[in-house]
Amino acid sequence: MSDHAFAVLRLLSAGGFQSGEAMAQQLGCSRTLVWQAVHAIEQDFGLTVFSVRGRGYQLASPFDWLDVAQIRTGLSEAAGDSLTLALVERTDSTNTQLMTRAAAGAPQGLLLAAEAQSAGRGRLGRRWQMKLGAGLTFSLLWRFERGLAALAGLSLAVGVAMVRALRGLGAPVMLKWPNDVLLDGKKLAGTLIELSGDAQGSAAVVIGIGLNVADPGEVDQPVASLADAGLQLSRNTVLAALLNELQQVLVEFERGGFAVLRDEWSSYAAHNQAPVRLSFSHHEPVDGVALGVDDSGALRVQTASGEQLFHVGEVSLRPRP
Amino acid sequence: MDLRKLKKLIDLVEESGIAELEVTEGEEKVRITRVTQNNQMFAQAMQYHQLPPAAPAAAPLAAPAPAAVVEVAPANNAAAVKSPMVGTFYRSASPGSKPFIEVGQQVSVGDTLCIIEAMKLMNEIEADRAGVVKAIVAEDGQPVEYGEPLFIIE
Repeated sequence: MSDHAFAVLRLLSAGGFQSGEAMAQQLGCSRTLVWQAVHAIEQDFGLTVFSVRGRGYQLASPFDWLDVAQIRTGLSEAAGDSLTLALVERTDSTNTQLMTRAAAGAPQGLLLAAEAQSAGRGRLGRRWQMKLGAGLTFSLLWRFERGLAALAGLSLAVGVAMVRALRGLGAPVMLKWPNDVLLDGKKLAGTLIELSGDAQGSAAVVIGIGLNVADPGEVDQPVASLADAGLQLSRNTVLAALLNELQQVLVEFERGGFAVLRDEWSSYAAHNQAPVRLSFSHHEPVDGVALGVDDSGALRVQTASGEQLFHVGEVSLRPRP
Repeated sequence: MDLRKLKKLIDLVEESGIAELEVTEGEEKVRITRVTQNNQMFAQAMQYHQLPPAAPAAAPLAAPAPAAVVEVAPANNAAAVKSPMVGTFYRSASPGSKPFIEVGQQVSVGDTLCIIEAMKLMNEIEADRAGVVKAIVAEDGQPVEYGEPLFIIE
């Protein structure tokens, strides 16, 4: 990957045609390096750059950078007071970075958002990938003091925050257990929460979220973006809305656990009272009817042998018999 | 506790060379003791609740190995790191990456031993004591119960 790709992209995002020579001069590098950077912007970032002999380069569409000041404009007072915002152009994974910083004593409420991740990941090491500028990838550090058991259901609580924010922006999203955010049945956003700490005492929690704002390009599963809901929003606006609700929900969760959010989660569930199949990595799938969740966030399923609770497994809809 | 697990526990005792291993899983308790005098095998498994017919069959399976005795014992499991929660046990951060620890490795307090995942919450489980990893009892990718032993650290 070209070292100058982000620098050249910043120059190009000023708009209009930029000559290769002028950019090379500003960056103090050769025109060849500028050319390589433009190539990387197209190949690695997935953006389209017009190249016209004698005039230079121009972005096919404007680029919407993440911007701390713009995010702050959208924050509620409570979120503004409790969050510290940090942005990075490129990193391995915002979760990994915050886990490291958490161990070094970083404060609660630290947010790290990245334009690009080289090792973005979801559950089971699945990669989270997207076209540059098409989505949000960020992580938020929070600290809890009441032991690991009190954190049951946290990922569902985070799902509740995302639905509040996204419905507030006009996207009719639903939740799939435990916390995939679906738009029109397709995945719009995913969450990976990592934590380390004492079984009984304080824990550092890093909440990582990936969300498609515009078409993410080619991904190996059916996905949705906010654009599919007819929304053309600045990523800064979307991020601020998510942070406002996350801050609020984390405070509610801290006080009352998932129990106080349970009914709200169920009201957002895509598969309530629907026939579902739960798949597992190590044994046969279980069929039943999804009944909602319990106070710890476990999925309740009516099966042939009665109601069962599940803490693990992958839910898919199955056709009604 | 199913047969496969019992067999694995016996293997672990053999491989690690420890004298005795005690495991509590839910209401079932099993202690495996290595007997070094002659190559005879005594195996006996008892559980407080209905005994699955599979359990006694552990004997023939493990028979070629040096002696091991399996017996019921009260839970007193000082050297075991137990799961603090219900979830899925992972030995590495992602599939294909290096496991956090291997048998025989020295660990310090605070070292990450494994990840237990429950409902997209990835819990890094840290060592609460220093020592040498004698056995890895839980299996990568398998569900574990609350209080189930994951590692034996001496």
